[in-house]
Amino acid sequence: MPRLIIDDIPVEVPEGTNVLEAARSLGITIPHFCWHPALGKAGACRVCAVKMLDGPVKGLQMSCMLTAQNGMVVSTTDDEAVAMRRSVIEWLMINHPHDCPVCDEGGECQLQDYTIAGGHGIRRYDGLKRTHVNQDLGEQVAHEMNRCIQCYRCARFYQEYAGGTDFGVTGHAAGVYFGRLQNGRLESPFSGNLVDICPTGVFTDKTARFRARYWDYEMAPSVCPHCSLGCNTIPMARYRELLKVTARRNDAVNGWFICDRGRFSNSTVNATDRPRQAMVDGQPFSMDDALDGLVERLSEFLELHGPGSLAIVGSPRMSHEGNIMAARLAEMLGAGTVSYFGDVVHAERTIEAVSLLHAGNSASQEDVRHADLIAVMDCDLQDEAPMMALAVRQAWRDGAQVFSVGSECPINSAQQQLFDSTAVSSLSDVPLASAVRPLIICGTRHKGLEQIRAAAASSVRLAFILEGPNTWGCAQLAFEHEAQPFSQTVADKRVKGIISLEADLPAEMLDGIRVLGAADWRQTGPLARAEVVLPTCAWVEQDGTFINHEGRAQRFKQVMRPGLPIKGLNREHHPPRMHRHDAPGGDILPAWQIVAELIKRLGGEQINNPLDAIWAELQGLSAEGPGVLLNREK
Amino acid sequence: MDQILFKHNRPDRVISFDEYCAESGFRALRKALTGMSPEEVQQATIDSGMRGRGGAGFPTGKKWSFVPRDLPGPRYLICNCDEMEPGTYKDRVLLEKNPYLLIEGMALAGYALGVEHAFIFIRRGYELAAENLRRGIVEAERAGFLGRDILNSGFSLSLEVHQSAGRYICGEETALMNALEGRRANPRAKPPFPAVKGLWGQPTVVNNVETLANIPAIIDKGPAWWKSQAATPDAAGTKLFCISGHVSITDCFELPLGMTLGEIIDGPCGGMRNGSNFKACIPGGASTPYFTKEHWNVPMDFDPVAKAGSRLGTGGIVVFDHNTCMVAVTLNLVRFFARESCGWCTPCREGLPLVQHILERIEAGYGEPPDIDILHEHVRHLNHAFCALAPGAMGPVDGLLRHFKDELSEHISGKCCPFRRDTTHTC
Repeated sequence: MPRLIIDDIPVEVPEGTNVLEAARSLGITIPHFCWHPALGKAGACRVCAVKMLDGPVKGLQMSCMLTAQNGMVVSTTDDEAVAMRRSVIEWLMINHPHDCPVCDEGGECQLQDYTIAGGHGIRRYDGLKRTHVNQDLGEQVAHEMNRCIQCYRCARFYQEYAGGTDFGVTGHAAGVYFGRLQNGRLESPFSGNLVDICPTGVFTDKTARFRARYWDYEMAPSVCPHCSLGCNTIPMARYRELLKVTARRNDAVNGWFICDRGRFSNSTVNATDRPRQAMVDGQPFSMDDALDGLVERLSEFLELHGPGSLAIVGSPRMSHEGNIMAARLAEMLGAGTVSYFGDVVHAERTIEAVSLLHAGNSASQEDVRHADLIAVMDCDLQDEAPMMALAVRQAWRDGAQVFSVGSECPINSAQQQLFDSTAVSSLSDVPLASAVRPLIICGTRHKGLEQIRAAAASSVRLAFILEGPNTWGCAQLAFEHEAQPFSQTVADKRVKGIISLEADLPAEMLDGIRVLGAADWRQTGPLARAEVVLPTCAWVEQDGTFINHEGRAQRFKQVMRPGLPIKGLNREHHPPRMHRHDAPGGDILPAWQIVAELIKRLGGEQINNPLDAIWAELQGLSAEGPGVLLNREK
Repeated sequence: MDQILFKHNRPDRVISFDEYCAESGFRALRKALTGMSPEEVQQATIDSGMRGRGGAGFPTGKKWSFVPRDLPGPRYLICNCDEMEPGTYKDRVLLEKNPYLLIEGMALAGYALGVEHAFIFIRRGYELAAENLRRGIVEAERAGFLGRDILNSGFSLSLEVHQSAGRYICGEETALMNALEGRRANPRAKPPFPAVKGLWGQPTVVNNVETLANIPAIIDKGPAWWKSQAATPDAAGTKLFCISGHVSITDCFELPLGMTLGEIIDGPCGGMRNGSNFKACIPGGASTPYFTKEHWNVPMDFDPVAKAGSRLGTGGIVVFDHNTCMVAVTLNLVRFFARESCGWCTPCREGLPLVQHILERIEAGYGEPPDIDILHEHVRHLNHAFCALAPGAMGPVDGLLRHFKDELSEHISGKCCPFRRDTTHTC
């Protein structure tokens, strides 16, 4: 491990670290634009200049291009280095428009920060600025080329990291242009990351344009709920409206990026017609009264039919806390059934997949990125878990062999080909033994598990693509509480009434069954038929835990308070005419708290924290950091 | 002094294959393939003292010796004929008269390096040269000097002409390789150097046309003879000097390396034009700092020119007489480089247009005294660009600041270009 001295501070860094990263490890931020941890060095912007005072390399050097070596003595504050960095900023500002007051990036702009930090304030260029024509890149990403500082991050991410072909660099010299051949929606399913990696305001989130400044946002570390991968995000909200979602770094999971679905599919949270009002028999009630109403009906029902005919239905898209509470409610009532999954076959597959994972073989996205042989079995990665497809691409770029196994594996027919793969019909055709870090990614929607059983016995790492953000957790709970798939309980004709907690049950499954109560923040089948409707908080409106496909528990924090977005208020609500404790539409609770209230009102104990017994280790889980892997030892 | 490169030239046309063969063409190749090992060919090149003719002047044999012979996969040889340095046109003149020297030289270099595929990367505008080369390659293949198992030696070489899509930066060897691979012509980071990881990631040697065209003579007549063709004991071989500007005869001459600037101008160039006085010259292509009257007796060889504060570069000499405004000259050059930046790194892409703007301001009479500081600052800071284009572009600016500071100041204090005082501008 090389030892060097940066600004008089000795530091030892891992082999291969560059000087810029070494300085970062000391908390010294050397300005940089083109260098990005996920994209590596480019040497294009020249703003990371430092002075090498002693050692194998001397003089002014670009710290991103220089691998740390023993005996290096680095100064980031040397006059020559500071002057060079100031020059670079001056050059970049020659053509950069002074439109910060109306630029969406203002306040979260790397160029703004380094310009001010670098001390460039007096303009010595009095000529005309270069201008470009912007392109329409679709509904999600706005394009403002005049702001471009040509760091090449966008093109490097889009083409190299994400395999996109419809966006890149054209032109030369001062006319270098980053865009498409012609106007049109960016084709890559990862295009939104351009917004995150652009160090200035060329690419901004069109869906959140002109809505807020960085310092206006309410934001908190969160976890994406759109698939089972659990990519880390930072949702940003203002005035009770979720404005945008950005990627949050987690090296073990998503790295630096998220997919467009995770970034741009969150408008349901803001929908004015989202369930926000507790109802009993179609009439609006306060949450408190609605809960009492449900308790009343529940008591009647239990008296009439007995607890054996009641089912409590949880859901893989609900927080783990909510799902734990579902089991506790069922336990308390002696309910005949607790369900976490709808379909029998799917439930069996999921539970088996989770049972095959243990601490020694579960694979994270990071493991996938570093595998040298990957078999993708019976799943459409780009549809079921886009970021996993991106992880496979990184391994493939490093030379990993990729095999697509089975008939449900449309890797090559997908909209965009992220990696080359060899199609084989059976896992036995994949030379797993020839690889050092082999890995199998298997879907659970289709067949394929049969072949995995044999592989699970060997040392191959496994990643299963599950259904929802907390499917792993639900599978564990289902196993622990002997839960039944809901369709099975329907087939058995045991169930006469249910309480549905954020469950996506198809309407036909509910024929002849009373939906006593349904708690959800989305308009689902059970909610439409529920006698008591209990609106719940979306994930951004509560603290909670999701356990991702590999068994990694991750905490998400409350980003915003629930309630109708101010933007959606009508004359009935705005301006406010009376004092109230909640915002309009804000009289809602997280699902687990609704269940806790029910338990209390039914005579049970007061539960303040659902994470106890075997889940107690999650209590202190921080939302920052890699999360905690819950897989048992083999 | 013997002519080495131009000795076969016909005054009005390209030499034919048969004529070249009759004038002992391909004798060196035959000699090498029948009696010399690849190592001996490389050693002869090292012994000759040949320094690359493309501009940097790196010893050619030494460059070849950097290529690892034990790596798996192919090695490549590329002839850099993307001659775009303003004032430089030697490769064009050579190839329009005689493509066979280059073909033979590449066969010899390919033999020394163990290369099976070689490329000639030629400037888009050099249509005639490219045509000569394509025809020459076919003729050489037919005669068994290229292709499979050349002269029954077991050595095979295919030669391909690739016409550049254009741009000055393609002459930078790593950008050239990117262009050849079909990528944007941005230079690559070094290390790894092309000798280890070049075209398609394989060991690659990039040599200039003139460099390669000299190899047959080095092999045929021996390195000692070749070296002795220079004018001074320190120099080696002859050099193509392409002269332009205010001299009586502007042409491309093959002259012994080491003749002084004065000897070249007063000799083959026939002195200054119309009795005008020598003021300055670009000694080796547009990216080299100016020489002035004080450099009249500097031997035109790599080390003496470097010692005098400039570079021999490509040997493209542009001469200016006493009526030339050096600010205007510099502006013209900087304008070229600013246009030809590939746009990869900030100093080159943004710094050069700023320098251009400052020079335009000074030339138009709007310059301010601090502008000179800005120019000084840019000479320093543009050295830290990604490749050699921007530092090269600042060569003329550096020369302007060192040798013509008074002229610059006169522009600023007089609020107009002193050379235009009588004509266009009112002061």
